[in-house]
Amino acid sequence: MSKSETIIEFRGIRKVYQMGGHALEALSGVSLEIGRGEFVSVMGPSGSGKSTLMNIIGCLDTPTSGEYYLEGSNVAGLTFDQLASIRNRKLGFVFQNFNLLPYATAWENVEVPLLFNGKNARRRRERVKELLEAVGLLNWKDHRPSELSGGEQQRIALARALANDPPILLADEPTGNLDSKSGEDIMDLLGRLWKDGRTIVMVTHDDRIAAHSERTIRLFDGQVA
Amino acid sequence: MNLTLPRFFLREFRKRKKKTALITFALFWGTLCVLILLAFGRGMSAQSRVSFSGLGENLIMISGGQSSIVHEGLAKGRLIRVYPNDIEYLKERIPEIAVIAPESYNGWPVSARGKELNRTVHGTTVEFAGLRTQIPQAGGRFINADDEAQGRKVAFIGWKVAADFFGGENPVGREIIVNRVPFTVIGVLRKKIQNSMYQGPDADQVYLPFSAFSQIDSQPYLDRIHVQPRELGLSKLVEERIRTVLGRKYRFDPADKYALGIWNTIDNAKENETIFKRIEIFLGVIGALTLLIGAVGVTNLMYAVVRERTQEIGIKMAVGARRRTIVLQFILETLFIFMKGTFWGFITAFNIVGLVRLVPLSEEGFGIGAYLLRPVFSLDIFLIFLGTVGTLVFLAGIFPAMRASRLNPIEALRYE
Repeated sequence: MSKSETIIEFRGIRKVYQMGGHALEALSGVSLEIGRGEFVSVMGPSGSGKSTLMNIIGCLDTPTSGEYYLEGSNVAGLTFDQLASIRNRKLGFVFQNFNLLPYATAWENVEVPLLFNGKNARRRRERVKELLEAVGLLNWKDHRPSELSGGEQQRIALARALANDPPILLADEPTGNLDSKSGEDIMDLLGRLWKDGRTIVMVTHDDRIAAHSERTIRLFDGQVA
Repeated sequence: MNLTLPRFFLREFRKRKKKTALITFALFWGTLCVLILLAFGRGMSAQSRVSFSGLGENLIMISGGQSSIVHEGLAKGRLIRVYPNDIEYLKERIPEIAVIAPESYNGWPVSARGKELNRTVHGTTVEFAGLRTQIPQAGGRFINADDEAQGRKVAFIGWKVAADFFGGENPVGREIIVNRVPFTVIGVLRKKIQNSMYQGPDADQVYLPFSAFSQIDSQPYLDRIHVQPRELGLSKLVEERIRTVLGRKYRFDPADKYALGIWNTIDNAKENETIFKRIEIFLGVIGALTLLIGAVGVTNLMYAVVRERTQEIGIKMAVGARRRTIVLQFILETLFIFMKGTFWGFITAFNIVGLVRLVPLSEEGFGIGAYLLRPVFSLDIFLIFLGTVGTLVFLAGIFPAMRASRLNPIEALRYE
C-alpha cells in the first residue's frame, strides 16, 4: 500500500509532568510520521511513554512543547471544545478496559458519539444498527455491558469508536483483557477495518499482536528507539 | 430547539433515579412550605379586604364637629352639625356623589315576647342598605322608599337581635316595641364578616325608616351622613367638595379638619392592605428559606454524583463531549430532581389549600378562622414560585456542573 499522504506527524513532541515538585519527562522530543491507511503498533516497556504518546495522538492530552499535525493542521493550541470535536469526528478510541457506560445498553453506548455529533434520530438509528451488525452483536443491543463477555464488550467499544466514521482508530492494548479467542476476533475486525482504508495506531506489549501491523514504533525512555 | 441531548440526559437520569429519593422529599417539603405560606398570606390579605367591606366599600362618613380655626369673624370652638336637609343639598351640589344616606341613632329599650334589652336603634333610608352591605336574609327585606314616604312603623334587625328575642323562630312579621312604640319586623340582616364598626357590630343593631325614627326621637340634627362616590378614585375629591360646600353653608374654613368628622374608608383600606402585603412577603421569605435548604441538599448530592460518575464523564469526553455538553447534563439533572420534588409539592399544596377552603366559617363575627381558613392561589404566586425554583436550580446545579466540565479527561478515565 502506497503511503502518499501523512495523516499524523509529531515534530519534537515533549511532555513533562509536574509531580510534587519533581519534573517527570514522559516524552523527550518524539518525532514521527504515520501515513494515511497505515497500521502501526507502538511497543515499549512500561514507563516508556506509550500511553502518553497515545493520549496526545488521541487529543486527550496536549504536549508541553513541539508540534502535532493531524491531517495537516497543527492541533497544539486548540481549545478543549475544538479538541472534543476532533475526538468525536476524526478519532475512534478502543481501550484495554473497554470504558463502556455501565448503565447504558449496547445500543445506547454506540449511539453516544452520534448524539454528541448532533445526528438526528433516524440517522442515529440507521448507523447504530449498521455498526452492531458489523460487529455481530445486533441481537445483544438491549444488554448492558455487565451482561456481556469481555470480547463482546470490546466489539461494542469498537462499534462505538467507528460511530462517526473517523479516519483514525486508536487502540490501547485492545486485547489486554481478553482471552486469546476473543483477542483473535478483535484483531480480525481491526485487520478488516485497515483493509477498508482506515489508519490504525495500536499500543501493545504482545509481539504476536504487534505482528498484525505493518510497522512497529518502539519507545524507550520517552524516545523513539 | 434541538431536544436530542436533553432527551438523552433524561433517559440517563431515569436509570438512576432511586438515589434521589431523599432529596426529592426535601424539595417536596420545601415546595409545600413556600406555596402553603404564600397561599395563606394571600388569603389573609383577601379576607381582610372582605371583612373591611363588611362595613362598606368606598364609603365616606360625615358627622358634626367643632371648628378650630377663626373664620369670617366667627370664633373657633363652635359646634357644627349636619341636618336632614343636607342630604339633598349635597346631592345637588356634588355630582360625583353616587349614593347618599342619613343616619341617626339612639340607645333605647327594645322589647318583644316579654323580654327587654337595650339596643342601638338607627333611623335611615333605603340607600343605607347598599352603602353598608345590609343584605337581608331570605324572606325579609330592608327598609324601602315607601316605608320612608309613609312613615311606616317597620324595623330591620341584626341577626343577633333576632336570636335574642325570637330564638330560632322567624321574626319577620312579628312585633317589637322600640321606646314604647310598636314596630313590625320586615327583615333580618344576613350574617357577614365585619372588622370595622361604630356602635358595635351590625348584628346587634335595629334599623327604622328615618321618618318613623324622627317621630320618636327629639334630636333635630343627624348623627352621620353616608356618602359613596361614583368611583373609588373620586374618594378624596368628594371629601374635599363636602368640606367646601358645607363650609360655605355652615361658615367654617374648608381646611379646618375638626369642623366635620370625616371617616373615609379608603384610608383604612390602604393601611390594611400594606400590613397584609408585608405579612405575605414575610411568609413567602420563610417558605423560600425552607426550599433553599432543599436546594443546598441538591448541590451536595450533585457534587457526590459528579465524583461518583467521574469515569463516565471521562468516557463521554473521550468520545467527543464538549464542556458545555457536560454542564448541560448536570444542570438538567438538577432540574429533573427539582421537577420531581416540586411537582408533588405543588399537587399536595394545591389539594391542601382546596381542602382547607372547604372548612365552613363561623359567621358569628370576624374570628381568626376567617383569616386562616381561606387560603388562595393566584397566578402571581405561581410565578413567584417558578422564579424562586428556577433561581435555585441554577444556583444548586451550576457549581457541580462546572466542576464536572473542568475534569481532565485522562484523569477522569483512570478514576476508579
